[in-house]
Amino acid sequence: MSLVTELILSADSEARYPAPKELRIFQDFVKTGEQRIRIAKALADNEQRIVQNGSQKFWERCPNTPSNSGNERKTASCQRDQGWYVRLIAYSVLAGSERPLEEIGTLGIKEMYNNLEIPIRNIAECMRCLKEEAMAVLSAEDAQEVAPYFDLIIHSLS
Amino acid sequence: MQDAITTLINSSDAQGKYLDETSLNNLQNYFRSGDLRARAAMNISANASTIVTKTVAKALLYTDITAPGGNMYTCRRYAACIRDMEYFLRYATYAMLAGDPSILDERVLNGLKETYNSLGVPVGATVRSVQAMKEVVTETLGADAGREMGVCFDHICTGLN
Repeated sequence: MSLVTELILSADSEARYPAPKELRIFQDFVKTGEQRIRIAKALADNEQRIVQNGSQKFWERCPNTPSNSGNERKTASCQRDQGWYVRLIAYSVLAGSERPLEEIGTLGIKEMYNNLEIPIRNIAECMRCLKEEAMAVLSAEDAQEVAPYFDLIIHSLS
Repeated sequence: MQDAITTLINSSDAQGKYLDETSLNNLQNYFRSGDLRARAAMNISANASTIVTKTVAKALLYTDITAPGGNMYTCRRYAACIRDMEYFLRYATYAMLAGDPSILDERVLNGLKETYNSLGVPVGATVRSVQAMKEVVTETLGADAGREMGVCFDHICTGLN
């Protein structure tokens, strides 16, 4: 689901053409296309750095957590998941909508991590650390576009 | 339904990857054509009934189909035909905005041929009128937007054949 699909489905549910206001939103969205692509590339290029530095920061704040337990397999799967969230945020930036992030990564997130016996509060703290690292590699303007998606993940964990 | 953005996201996600260079280039082209697409949609929305009137005049009105025994004879059938033309135009506009034809498959073409066959609606005449609509839309919008809409009208015709 993207901003485009959302506007089309909403028009179709009323059997009408997209309204001028909706098309203006669409025009503003495509105008920021270059920026969105730039952000997606920056997130892809810096994913490793965001995850590595984010983990260091996270372990300082939450030393007693599965990814810091000395079990390498756990550390690897936690960091893999963290990288996935960075990727899902890149998708959402491109789509101009939180839906890709929600559909793939936040619906059911609490249930999943509860089932994996990973403390939800730790995940939320980890996401805060990833957010701080991501903000650090982006320009202020680009960071502003990305921040709400991290907040959405953190919020879905509360 | 899918659009130019979600198709690329879904196929990348299935591999757990970021969008590669080719996908990002496709996306860039879509973003760049966005303003054209939005203006085309506004233009079609403002002229929808004229476009349908011209299409009917061009492809159907002066043929046997509107005469007694034809499938557009009786006002009720004529009205149903116009309604379908309006649907084709509106959904083609959605698909053009989306940069992806999947909404046509899901919401127009799925089962349409079978429905038309059971109602005795001639598919050949339908295809001719969709082609006529493509010409009318190109005249109304100009070549660039006409080309984008043309892809969607051709998709409808392929789905009917």
